Amino acid sequence: MILSCFVALLFSSLAPPGDVAARDVPNDGGGSIAVTWSPSPDTTVTGYYVLRQAKGDTTWDTLRFAGRLASEYSDGETKDRTDYRYKVAAVTPTESAESAASTFAASSPQWFDTETIPALVGTAVLIFMFAYFINRARRGRNLFIRRISGLDAVDEALGRATEMGRPTLYVPGISSIADVATIAALNILGEVAKKTAKFGTPLIVPTADPIVYTVAREMVKESYTTAGRPDAFNQDIVFFVTDQQFAYAAAVDGIMTREKPATNFLVGMFYAEALILAETGAATGAVQIAGTDAVTQLPFFITACDYTLIGEELYAASAYLSREPLLLGAIKGQDYSKAIIVGVIVVATLLALLAGVPVLKYL
Amino acid sequence: MTAQDGTGRRNFWQKLQAIDRRWIYLVVWLVVMLPLIFPFYIKPRPTPPTEKLFQFIDTMPRDKALAISIDYGPDTQAELQPMLVALLRHAFATHHRVGMLAMVITGLGLGEDALRQVTAEFNAHATTHDDSVINGEDYAFWGWSTPPVTVILGMGENIAKVFPVDYYGAKTESLPITKHLKNYGDIGILVSIAASAFPLSWINLAQTQFGVRLGCGITAVSAADFYPYLNSGQFSGMLGGMKGAAEYEQLVEERMAQNDQVWHLRMKGTEAMSSQSAAHLAIIAFIIIGNIAFFATRRRKS
Amino acid sequence: MQRRLPLILVLLTGIFGAITFFIPHHALQTADAAMRNDVQRIITAFGLVLGVGSLLQHHFLKIRRKMENWPYSYITIITLVVSAVIGVFGGLDPTKPGILPTHIAGFSFHIQTLFTNMLVPLGATMFSLLAFFMASAAYRAFRARNLEATLLLAAAFILMLGAVPLGRMIFHPLPSFAEWILAVPNMAAKRGINFGIQLGIFATALKIVLGIERGWLGGGGGK
Repeated sequence: MILSCFVALLFSSLAPPGDVAARDVPNDGGGSIAVTWSPSPDTTVTGYYVLRQAKGDTTWDTLRFAGRLASEYSDGETKDRTDYRYKVAAVTPTESAESAASTFAASSPQWFDTETIPALVGTAVLIFMFAYFINRARRGRNLFIRRISGLDAVDEALGRATEMGRPTLYVPGISSIADVATIAALNILGEVAKKTAKFGTPLIVPTADPIVYTVAREMVKESYTTAGRPDAFNQDIVFFVTDQQFAYAAAVDGIMTREKPATNFLVGMFYAEALILAETGAATGAVQIAGTDAVTQLPFFITACDYTLIGEELYAASAYLSREPLLLGAIKGQDYSKAIIVGVIVVATLLALLAGVPVLKYL
Repeated sequence: MTAQDGTGRRNFWQKLQAIDRRWIYLVVWLVVMLPLIFPFYIKPRPTPPTEKLFQFIDTMPRDKALAISIDYGPDTQAELQPMLVALLRHAFATHHRVGMLAMVITGLGLGEDALRQVTAEFNAHATTHDDSVINGEDYAFWGWSTPPVTVILGMGENIAKVFPVDYYGAKTESLPITKHLKNYGDIGILVSIAASAFPLSWINLAQTQFGVRLGCGITAVSAADFYPYLNSGQFSGMLGGMKGAAEYEQLVEERMAQNDQVWHLRMKGTEAMSSQSAAHLAIIAFIIIGNIAFFATRRRKS
Repeated sequence: MQRRLPLILVLLTGIFGAITFFIPHHALQTADAAMRNDVQRIITAFGLVLGVGSLLQHHFLKIRRKMENWPYSYITIITLVVSAVIGVFGGLDPTKPGILPTHIAGFSFHIQTLFTNMLVPLGATMFSLLAFFMASAAYRAFRARNLEATLLLAAAFILMLGAVPLGRMIFHPLPSFAEWILAVPNMAAKRGINFGIQLGIFATALKIVLGIERGWLGGGGGK
């Protein structure tokens, strides 16, 4: 390859790429050097070979073939603090032309990614908002939160199940514990389990993830103990079904049609099986309270369920139901943070619109 | 709360509002099944995105190949497989070479099914060697490889390096088609048929670096996400969902008719259009009937 | 101590997870990747043992007490055991058989075959229920009760007709209008909801890391 390139160079009329430069890739963990070049002016070029030489070496290694439109390449296989230099060879089906070598460059890891500064500032602002309102809540200030009809209906729905002598079904979604929606669903389960323990209503909690199963079981057990009914808890309340999406939907549908729960809670992360669950529940005549942050499934829940917690209402639920001051304070912090974001968007949009106004260019 | 308790005798409109779901399921089943048993073809008029893709492939120089990337699996087969079949028919009818690969391993079987079907269709009517569609000469099924970044970038240099053997086990270099289909330079357009965001990877890697022209076939629900790329020219055409497949089938049928290839081939996308149209109309009718019953009941109460 | 140790663990891992976003140094990134990939996998594997244990316990109880539909519990348990044995001993690659032969006279019961020929069609069957359920849900719920519901109905009609060839026959610009509804007002609403969701996720994660939300420890509410 090298010899043929050398021979081709002697007789080549092809213009090589120019301005080959190499520098350490910034804001990374090391091991990368960015190579840039100006493309060859020849339109017959089909691509570029990137060549590398370590300091002290006599040979050039061919790294990668880059397309004819490429003008940069990231070499991700460098040893930190080792100097390398690069050449770029333009190639056609019959000839090639190499550029001059770049200066030496060495890769090194960085301890801070400067591109994340906006995220850091935003995070700091949000944390400040939370801290401020949590502090206010700690001081006993009354924090207003608007009514969420789905959560107000929880007591009524559970009462209905108790009167009818039928169980309550709680479906905590089909996602894993790593999904924040599942954690929110489990927090609500804790509150619901306290109420079912107090009312003496049977509770059924089928889970689709083994870890969610273990956490849910412990939460329900603790809720029954807190409600003063540890004797009413049994291992069969919470059980693992399957982690396959539609197999889980089939199992839950089976539970709905056999056990005929009076109240269904469909809270957590759902995918395509959302409507299957909701509609089957509606067919059995159950009162259904749903909550998810899966935007694509919200329309199905709104259509088929009696009450739906939309998006962030799901995350506010544990605070709403428990009325714990610290949790309420966090909700207020969240709301004011959203107000700040909306304000920034409005201002930025106005500025962007005004930037297009010709007269303002002269100001 | 859901209305469940009856309150004595109900009039017709109240009964209609509370109709047993199973009647609705029965009607839906009938409107989907009957058009499949007694087909009536609603020939869809091609929309601009489909027309664009068709015209591009139709007017491609003969020495440029069509490359197809199967980026979907069996779960979206119903919507996307008709697109693959229609593209293959179009390529073979216009004597363009075809190179096929799969980025999703479960798509391999689907690709093989489509090739088997279309080559059988063409070879059943072939009278000469030129008319026939032959593996290794007219098309190559390269198979599946991973990781996707390596495949997409590697195809820019040498496809045979990325896929040393084809799906059937033959050495890619030894195939006659490989002389004319070495890398992106020999590909007129690459169409990614996907149920996910794979087409965007093709834009980011293949088009940005190698300038290869791209098209895509995607599911109807994700079509809205790809329109910006179509409008910017990054896609040279787009097939959206079953309707897109049906539109393309119509265009291919007309094109083949110009070649006197009136073979009355099965067009699953077009067949499904009748069922889909009937189902949508049925749901609209249900909603209208439900609302008439609702307003009639409300008027009686007031 | 029983509650304090998990809280400290959550605080440390939460802070660690957050700072790896800002610090690209490979030492930290390698540790983060090890935690996400290796540690999480190990925990999931142990969790799976507990999950399967729960499944077996649930069905054995049904069989013992001869509860409603108890014969189906036998089917569940037998299927679980048989597919586990085939998967573990029959090999994962059809070309490289394991200890157990998975082909008899051209009939394959390899785990991949079982998945493709049984699980995938069964999943597709359940998926197809959506068509029926959508019809019944639309019939039951789409009522023009007020202005918003009427607008929703109108949008639904436009989108349903725009998605089929009939729409263009009825009114030529209908499909374009349907596309506009998806691309503009629908996208705007989705983005608005997403903003709230992302803030909710941030708040919930912060509450858990700082120990304000302790429901996951067992018991509800916070302290």
